[in-house]
Amino acid sequence: MKERKGLIIGSVILLIIFIGMLIKGEPSKSILVWIAALLTLFIYSFLYRDNIFYKFAEHLFVGVSVGYGISVYWQNAFIRKVFDPLFITKTYIVDGQFHLWPLLAIVIPTLMGLLMLSIFTKKQAWLIRIPIAFVVGMSAGISVPSTFQAYIFEHTKNTLYITLSISSFIMIVGVITTLVYFFFSKEHKGLLGKTANIGIWFIMIAFGASFGYTVMARISLLIGRMNFLLYDWLGVIK
Amino acid sequence: MRRQIPLILTFLTGIAIFIAFFIPHKPFNEVQDILLDWAIIIAGFALLLGIHSLLRKHITHIKKKDGGWGYSLILTFFFVGVFTVGIISAIQYKGYSLTPGSLLYFVYDYMVIPLSATMFALLAFFIASAAYRAFRARKLNATLLLIAAVVVMLGRVPIMENAFFNFLSRFSDWFMFIPQMAAKRGILIGVALGAFAMSLRIILGIERTYLQ
Amino acid sequence: MNVLLALLFLMQQTPNSLPSDTTEVIEVVRPAPPTDVIAMDTPNDVGGSVSVQWEISEDDGKGLNNVILYNVFRGQSEEGPFDYIGTVGAGRTSYDDQTVEKDKVTYYYILKAQTKEAVESEASNVASGKAAPQWFHHGRWNILILGILFALFFAFYIRMAKGKKLFIRKIAGLDAVEEAVGRSTEMGKPVLFCPGIGYLYDIATIAALTILGRVAKKTAEYETRIIMPNYDPVVMSAAQEIVKQSYTEAGRPDNFNEKDIFYLTQDQFGFAAGVDGIMLREKPGAIFLQGVFYAESLILAETGHSVGAIQIAGTDRVTQLPFFISACDYTLIGEEMFAASSYLSRDPVMLGSIKGSDASKVVIISVILIGAILGILGGLNIGPFGTWFQSLVNWFGRG
Repeated sequence: MKERKGLIIGSVILLIIFIGMLIKGEPSKSILVWIAALLTLFIYSFLYRDNIFYKFAEHLFVGVSVGYGISVYWQNAFIRKVFDPLFITKTYIVDGQFHLWPLLAIVIPTLMGLLMLSIFTKKQAWLIRIPIAFVVGMSAGISVPSTFQAYIFEHTKNTLYITLSISSFIMIVGVITTLVYFFFSKEHKGLLGKTANIGIWFIMIAFGASFGYTVMARISLLIGRMNFLLYDWLGVIK
Repeated sequence: MRRQIPLILTFLTGIAIFIAFFIPHKPFNEVQDILLDWAIIIAGFALLLGIHSLLRKHITHIKKKDGGWGYSLILTFFFVGVFTVGIISAIQYKGYSLTPGSLLYFVYDYMVIPLSATMFALLAFFIASAAYRAFRARKLNATLLLIAAVVVMLGRVPIMENAFFNFLSRFSDWFMFIPQMAAKRGILIGVALGAFAMSLRIILGIERTYLQ
Repeated sequence: MNVLLALLFLMQQTPNSLPSDTTEVIEVVRPAPPTDVIAMDTPNDVGGSVSVQWEISEDDGKGLNNVILYNVFRGQSEEGPFDYIGTVGAGRTSYDDQTVEKDKVTYYYILKAQTKEAVESEASNVASGKAAPQWFHHGRWNILILGILFALFFAFYIRMAKGKKLFIRKIAGLDAVEEAVGRSTEMGKPVLFCPGIGYLYDIATIAALTILGRVAKKTAEYETRIIMPNYDPVVMSAAQEIVKQSYTEAGRPDNFNEKDIFYLTQDQFGFAAGVDGIMLREKPGAIFLQGVFYAESLILAETGHSVGAIQIAGTDRVTQLPFFISACDYTLIGEEMFAASSYLSRDPVMLGSIKGSDASKVVIISVILIGAILGILGGLNIGPFGTWFQSLVNWFGRG
C-alpha cells in the first residue's frame, strides 16, 4: 500500500516537472526526435525495475536491429561479395580470358553456405559440420601467427626495453609474477605460491586502474544522453 | 566418414593459413583475406537459420497466446517493418540500402542509435553500483582493485588545481603505463599461449567438442 | 645563370634609375644532392615495390642547412626521362616505391634535395633496381622458430601424458560449474549460457563452446533447462550440435530442446537488451558469461547479479575482465578459459598440452630474466653485454 502511494506521488511529481519543462522549453517539433526520446526514457526505466515500457523498448530494439542487420548483411556480404562479382563485374573474366580460380573463390563459399541449410533435412543434417569445420579451422590457423606476433613478441620485446630504473624493475616483476600466476602444472604453494600471489595483486591493481580509467568515459555517455533529452528534445537548455 | 571429413577440413584450413603467413608470394599473401570473405558469405546463409529460429520462437508464442505474447507481436511487427523498409531502400538505391537519405538510414539514425546509446549510457549507473559493491566486499583483492580505481579516476579528473592533484595526475599516468601494463602483458602472453595450445589441439583433432 | 646574377647586381648599382621599392636580389644557391643512392627489391613482400636508399645531402642539417625534403624520380632507362614519384622529409634516408607496375623489370631512380624556397639540387647518381616477390618472409623467422619450439613442447608433453595422471592447479571458476548447475536444479530454475558477441572464428568463442559442451552434459544429467541466446548464427548452429551431442552422451537425447538455443540479434546493445530481458523474466539460477565481450559486459554482469544468480564469467578481453571481476562470483581470466576444456575433461592428452604451454612460459620468463640481466650489465657498460642485449631485442623486433 505504502509503495503504491509512493509510486503515485512520485509519478505525479515527475509529470508536473515534465509539463513544466514542456511549457518553459522549446520542445522539438520533429516526430523522429520524440520517438528517439521516448525510446530513451523507456530503456532508462529499466533502472527502476522490469516494466512494460522497458519490455516494449527491448522487443522493439531486437526486432528493429534484426531487420536492420539483414539489410546490412545483404549489402556488405551478399551483394558486394557474391552477386556483384558473379553477375555484374564478373571478376573471373579478365581481358576476355576465363580464369577458374576467381570463379571458384565465389562458388565454393556459396556452396558451403548452402550446406548450412542442410540442418533442415533429416538425413543429411551432418553436412552442416563442413562449413563449421572450415570456420573453426580458419580460426585456429589465423590465431596462431597473429597472436604470436602481436602478443608474445611485441610484449616480450617491450618488456626488454630495460633502463636502470624503478619502473623497469616493477615492469619485470609484474610481468614475471603474472606469468607465474598462470602456471598450471604445479600447486601454488611455497615460493611459487607467494610469487603467484604477487601476480594476482598486480592483476587486481591493473584491473582497478582500467576500471577507473573508463569511469569518466561512461559518465560522459550519460551526459551525452542527458544533453539529447534536455537540449534536442525538450529545449530546456540552450 | 561423417567424423573424418570435418576433421580433415579443419586440419587443412588451419595449416593452409598458418603456412600462408610465412609466404609473401602470390597467391599466399591473399589467403587469409580470401578465407575471411568466405566466412562472411557462410555467415550470410547462417543468418537465414538465425532468422528462422527467431521467428519460429516468437510466432509460436503468438499462436499459443501465453504470457507476454504481445511483446512477441511487437518484435515480429518491427522486424517485418524494418525488413520491408530495407527492401524498399535496396530497390531505391540499387542494393546499397544504407545510403544516407534512404528510409533505412532514418530507421538507423532515430531508432537504432538512440536505443544503443541509451543502453551504453546505462553503464554509468552500473559502474557506480559495481564500485559500491567492491567497497563493501572487504576482501583484499576487491580492496586493491578499488584503491587503484580511485587513484586513477582522481588522477584523470583533478577536482582542484593544487599540488596533490597534480601529483595524482602524473602518478596515475605512470600507474597506467607501468604496473597496469605489466599485468596486462602477463595476461596477454598467457592468452596467446593458451590460444596457441587450443589452436594446436583443434588442428590436430585432439579438441573435438565443438564438432561432435 | 651567373651572367644573370651579374646583370642584376649591376642594375642594382645604378642609382635613381630603379624604383625605391625594388626587391632585393635573392642569391639562388642550389643545395647539394644526396649521394650514394642505391635501389633494390623491397624484401619480404609480394613484389611491386622497390626500396631506394641514400646518404643525406651535405646541406641537410649541416652545411647550408637549407634542405627540407627529398624528391624521388623514376625512369625506364638510365638516361631518363625521370618522372616524379614521391617525397620524403629531410633527415630520411629511404623510400619505398610501391607503385612499380612490373616485377623483374629494371627501373632507374634519381633523387634531388629541395629547400623551402622550392629550389632543387642537381640530380644524384642514377640507381637501378627491380622488384620481385619473395617466397619466404625472412622477417618472420623468429615466429617460425618459436612456434616450432613451442609445438615441440606440446608434442613432448602430450606423448609423456599418455597413461599418466597429470596435475593441474585448482581453477576456482571451473570447480564451481558443478555447484552452479546443482544450485539451479535445486531452485528449479534454468541455466543461462551467454557466448558473448564474438564470431566462430574468434578462438575465445570456440573456448566458450567447449565449456558449453561440459555445462550441457551437467544440465542433461540433472535434467535442468539450459537457455542460450546467440549473437552469431554460425555460433548458434555449432552450439546446437554441441548441446545435442552432450544430451545424447548423457543418455537423455529426448530432453534436448533445440528451441532453447536461439538467435537473438547481431547488434551489440540489442543483444544486451535482449539478454537482460531474458535474465529478468526467466530468473536463471546460474549464468555463464563466456567468450568475447565488449562494453556491454558490465550491463550483462550487473543484471545477472541483480536476479541473484551465481555467475561464472570468462573472457580474453583484458578491458572487460575488471567488470566481470567486480560483478561475478567467479571469473576465468584469459588463459584459464582456454584451459577449461582440458580441466573439465581431465583427458590426459589435453592436460599434456597445458603442460606444454607452461613449459613455453618458463622459456619466456627465462628470456625476460636473461634480457634483464644483460640489459643491466649493458647499461653499466660492462663487457659485450650491451651488444648481446641489443641483438636479443632486435631478434624479437623483426617482422
